[in-house]
Amino acid sequence: MSTTGFIFSNLNSNTLSLLTSDRTVAAIPFGCRYRLVDFALSNMVNSDITDINIIANYNFRSLVNHIGSGKDWDLARRSGGIKILSPGQEARQADAFVYSYRLEALRSIRDRINELTSDTVVLTDSDHLCNIDLSDVIAFHKANDAEATFVTVQSKIGDFTRDPQTALQSDAKGRVTDIVRSTGYDPDHPFVSIRIFVLSTEFLIRSLEEAVARNYHSFTNDIIMHSPERRRFYSYCFNDVVIPVTTFLDYYRANMLLTSDAAARNAILGKWERPIYTRVHNSPPTVYHDGCCVKDSLIADGCLIEGTVENSVLFRGVKVSRGAVVKNSILFGDTYVGSNSSLNCIVSDKNVVISDDQTLSGAGSTPFYIAKNKRI
Amino acid sequence: MYCKKECIAMLLAGGQGSRLYALTQKTAKPAVNYGGKYRIIDFPLSNCINSGIDTVGVLTQYQPLALNDYIGKGAAWDLDRIRGGLTVLPPYQDGKNADWYKGTANAIYQNIDFIKKFDPEYVLILSGDHIYKMDYAKMLDFHKEKKAACTVATITVPIEEASRFGICNTREDGSIYEFEEKPKEPKNNQASMGIYIFSTNILLEYLEIDEKDPKSSKDFGKNVIPNLLRSGERLYAYPFTGYWKDVGTIGSLWEANMDLLAEKPELDLRTRFFRIYSRNSARPPQFVGKTAAISSSMISEGCSVYGTVKHSVISGGAVIGKDAVVCDSVIMDDVVIEPGAKVYYAIVDSESVIRSGVTVGRPDAGKDHITVIAKGSDVTKNAEEK
Repeated sequence: MSTTGFIFSNLNSNTLSLLTSDRTVAAIPFGCRYRLVDFALSNMVNSDITDINIIANYNFRSLVNHIGSGKDWDLARRSGGIKILSPGQEARQADAFVYSYRLEALRSIRDRINELTSDTVVLTDSDHLCNIDLSDVIAFHKANDAEATFVTVQSKIGDFTRDPQTALQSDAKGRVTDIVRSTGYDPDHPFVSIRIFVLSTEFLIRSLEEAVARNYHSFTNDIIMHSPERRRFYSYCFNDVVIPVTTFLDYYRANMLLTSDAAARNAILGKWERPIYTRVHNSPPTVYHDGCCVKDSLIADGCLIEGTVENSVLFRGVKVSRGAVVKNSILFGDTYVGSNSSLNCIVSDKNVVISDDQTLSGAGSTPFYIAKNKRI
Repeated sequence: MYCKKECIAMLLAGGQGSRLYALTQKTAKPAVNYGGKYRIIDFPLSNCINSGIDTVGVLTQYQPLALNDYIGKGAAWDLDRIRGGLTVLPPYQDGKNADWYKGTANAIYQNIDFIKKFDPEYVLILSGDHIYKMDYAKMLDFHKEKKAACTVATITVPIEEASRFGICNTREDGSIYEFEEKPKEPKNNQASMGIYIFSTNILLEYLEIDEKDPKSSKDFGKNVIPNLLRSGERLYAYPFTGYWKDVGTIGSLWEANMDLLAEKPELDLRTRFFRIYSRNSARPPQFVGKTAAISSSMISEGCSVYGTVKHSVISGGAVIGKDAVVCDSVIMDDVVIEPGAKVYYAIVDSESVIRSGVTVGRPDAGKDHITVIAKGSDVTKNAEEK
């Protein structure tokens, strides 16, 4: 039996607000040439899940643009393929609203879910970056005859998040015995959900019926945490690199991690048998001019580098002019850095122009963000 | 299905490219790697789509596996269409015959049914051997304006090289009165680029005549074009200005790659206008490490650079190890230059490994002594062009 994938495009957009003023979380550019959704999509495609729905809510124009027909992920299919489900589905009804919880999103597409012929669904957000073989998770899920399987990572002493996460306790076989909300390391609940869920379709349909009947809104609070010990919930612990991108600082650090940590870079981007697909731009290779100096940087095609670039992430079409110095920065597509300008800890959105002889600096803990199309 | 087109292209991609030696042992010349992420055939295919020609027959013969694999159904060039699009045309067997393509003209002759299917007014004949950006629509306008039977695209070449080409001798209005294939004493330096536009009825008529001539070598330049001239058909030379490079030899392929490294390259791949499309292989971004030193080079997706790269073109997925040196070279897909290895004036074909401590080429070799490492080689000893 096949599996259907659902990707939520825009949970947590408030905590990434700088980057989401005119795009959805799923469409945030990341790592030179990707958008966050590419990781969720590629994980599914690489695990033979080719019937995928992205549940959009607002600001999804750039996402639609990015996905196109789905061809670049091999998802332009007659059967299955990719669909972006727009939020207008309930607009005719009196209680028209745009979802802010996962369960609300699912309720808004109940018709579609009730028609599913696949026996398993995978739900994911686009804000935890990893390169995971979901077929292993699905096999684990089926072997346990589970209702729901949570992909988790083991939390470590010292872990802390501002927003509470879902932390699980499980027995030796992975069966979940308790679930709590936690903001840090909790030895009794060592497994933290990375918001990839495998559900049996039947359990999802049953949960949605219950949600409608009782007017539930939150998948985690109202369904999952409701006496989990009586359910067949399992925790699948993923022992590889997972990079959360739920805040702007997370986002900045995640990009920097790719430039500084070869193991993390290879675990996410470098698995040749599980490539990350993205929209193709046909940019020419990057040109390094005489006198340029590039160190510890991740660089997309289509750039032109005359100056110095260190510990930075350059997206497609970036130009760094002669004498310019770019350090610890993330420059989105087509950013232009004028000659003798100096950037440190900058995140520049698309099409930003920094004229000659400018000095701009943020700090590692508070990188400075320059909005799309801005001229400095 | 009704699928009439005004003009279709026939791309001759069956050439062996024997003067590229090791590079074309296992690969047809049009599939040879160029410019970091391209294959030679990307240029005519991109030119077609950028010129509004959406129906292309690609005639393959020699070692077609890599080529077929690369072009697929033409999606990379937006040529996967319901009406028209890209069709690969290998030699085939019919009721009476099973023939290889015996020459450029015979290759087209064997695919007359393909041409007729689209009932085109004009047929554009292309070859997959050249690096250039050209708007074929302008050439077609010229062809129509001159009411020509056949238009030959020409380029100015240095007179001392003219004897390597087909030379068009023209009158003042651009009409051709003589076409000499590789003349010993060329009368001028207007060389045929191997690009022809024929009015379809003329093409079909002369292909039939040529096919029946037992003495003909079934070649456009040697037989069909001179035949048209003898019969008094209207032949015109369409002068093309711009970058054009025949990459038929190791030296010219190397040179064409190096041309991209000029401060302002004549062939601008960066402009969004008339972009050259290529098959994409979903590689991660390139990573440049702490110990890297790069200058005057072009580097593609998926590369990791920890060593020195100077005046070189590096294709996708290549790894340049720490303390390795790559100078004045062309490194193709997924090559590994191990730490400490040195590569000078070389073309290293894809998937080769240059082991630690090995030196390929000589720092003072120059463009006439390019060392070629064949695809998939494991180079454990110093290698140099002989």
